[in-house]
Amino acid sequence: MAAVSAAFVRFASLKPGSWSNQTNGVTSGVKFVTIGTSKLSLLSLRYSRFRVHCAAKPETVNKVIDIVKKQLALSDDTSLTPESKFSSLGADSLDTVEIVMCLEEEFDISVDEDNSQNITTVQDAADLIEKLVLQKAEAA
Amino acid sequence: MRRLLRGDMLPLLSNLVSRRLVISSLPSLPPAPLPSRREAHLWYVVPNELEDASLLQDYRELLSPCEKENILSIKGEALKKCAILSRVLVRTTLSRYTDCKVNPRLFKFRKNRFGKPEVERQIGALWVSSSLQFNISHTSSMIACGITVDVPIGIDIEEKQRKPVNNILSLAHRYFSPYEVQYLASFMDPETQQSEFLRLWTLKEAYVKALGRGFSGAPFRDFTIRFEKSTDSVVPEQPKSEEFRIMIDTAFDSENLTANWQFALVELGGSHLAAICMEKDENMSGTEQDFLKLKVWKTLPYVEDKCMSETDAVKNISGLS
Repeated sequence: MAAVSAAFVRFASLKPGSWSNQTNGVTSGVKFVTIGTSKLSLLSLRYSRFRVHCAAKPETVNKVIDIVKKQLALSDDTSLTPESKFSSLGADSLDTVEIVMCLEEEFDISVDEDNSQNITTVQDAADLIEKLVLQKAEAA
Repeated sequence: MRRLLRGDMLPLLSNLVSRRLVISSLPSLPPAPLPSRREAHLWYVVPNELEDASLLQDYRELLSPCEKENILSIKGEALKKCAILSRVLVRTTLSRYTDCKVNPRLFKFRKNRFGKPEVERQIGALWVSSSLQFNISHTSSMIACGITVDVPIGIDIEEKQRKPVNNILSLAHRYFSPYEVQYLASFMDPETQQSEFLRLWTLKEAYVKALGRGFSGAPFRDFTIRFEKSTDSVVPEQPKSEEFRIMIDTAFDSENLTANWQFALVELGGSHLAAICMEKDENMSGTEQDFLKLKVWKTLPYVEDKCMSETDAVKNISGLS
């Protein structure tokens, strides 16, 4: 798991209501959950039920899919999922940098080369975008 | 003595027979003599020319289990075909340079610590006697594999007519060095600008791939490719407008970005641009260092190999001796 190596990760829910449906008992008033954890337990966290709520929002994933479809000239009925790998879609290096540039413009973020090397799937891109958007909002 | 083998542990006879048929249905590959120190060899395949489904199936059988699994994850027949051809091109090309003593399916690959693929020299009891260096590049319409001995090589190919989806100067501003942005901005005609962009792009890609440090190890904006007009031409009073040398400038304090690399840019098959980058030989003197010897073959492995050097299919743009 190359994209995240930080010792802790902040998960932000921008829709307080989305937490209230969960069985973990977090109330709807909670906006941020800060978890300090080792990398190993971070991995297990990712694959537990927390992952569904802490992965990128569907709107972000859909925007990524739209941009990728446009860049690779895929037909509208081509099915792209969050798990779709860029390399399996026939994207070459020029496609990839074009996609990254479009994502930067769409979300008003800056992706450095280290980060962009680690993006292999649509989900990776969406997760990274939300992380960068969040970092930018916090820095402001 | 108890039966050591249960009947169900033996492979089905029909499987054995069909597998042997597959292995022996492919003729042997002609061996290729090794490139000399200053030489790069380029083999390319045109996916559209493969129409035989049974040949594609034979090709698939040359792949490792891991490669076969990767192919399964690719959606779409055209993309699958290109992926298979890409692996087959590498494996068969490498095999040729072992005098065909090493079967294509036997090669094993590893990645260096930055992710650049390399071939293992020890394959079971076999030892590949030459230090073969290779690099692949593909577009949907052509796949190419560059080979050298000992010397790191990087190649990149692009369709000549490829038009980036985004604005060229925006892409250049985002990714290229300031000098290169200015260079591109100096072209008023959009088609010329597009063509120059692709030349810079393929050369920069070839350099990064030759260095083998990954995209983040050699950020595009940290080095400049420029074209220097050649002062030495065959007919001094009539220099050809295309005559120029490809130069690279790297930041003076950069440890990782070295400048002792030579470049060549060629037009392949009338349709593609190919950039080749290989390390300079310090033993060569002066201007000899600047030119690269290139031999090119077009192939459909096991079907046809055609030497394309010295033909119209390989047009030197810059850098070839």
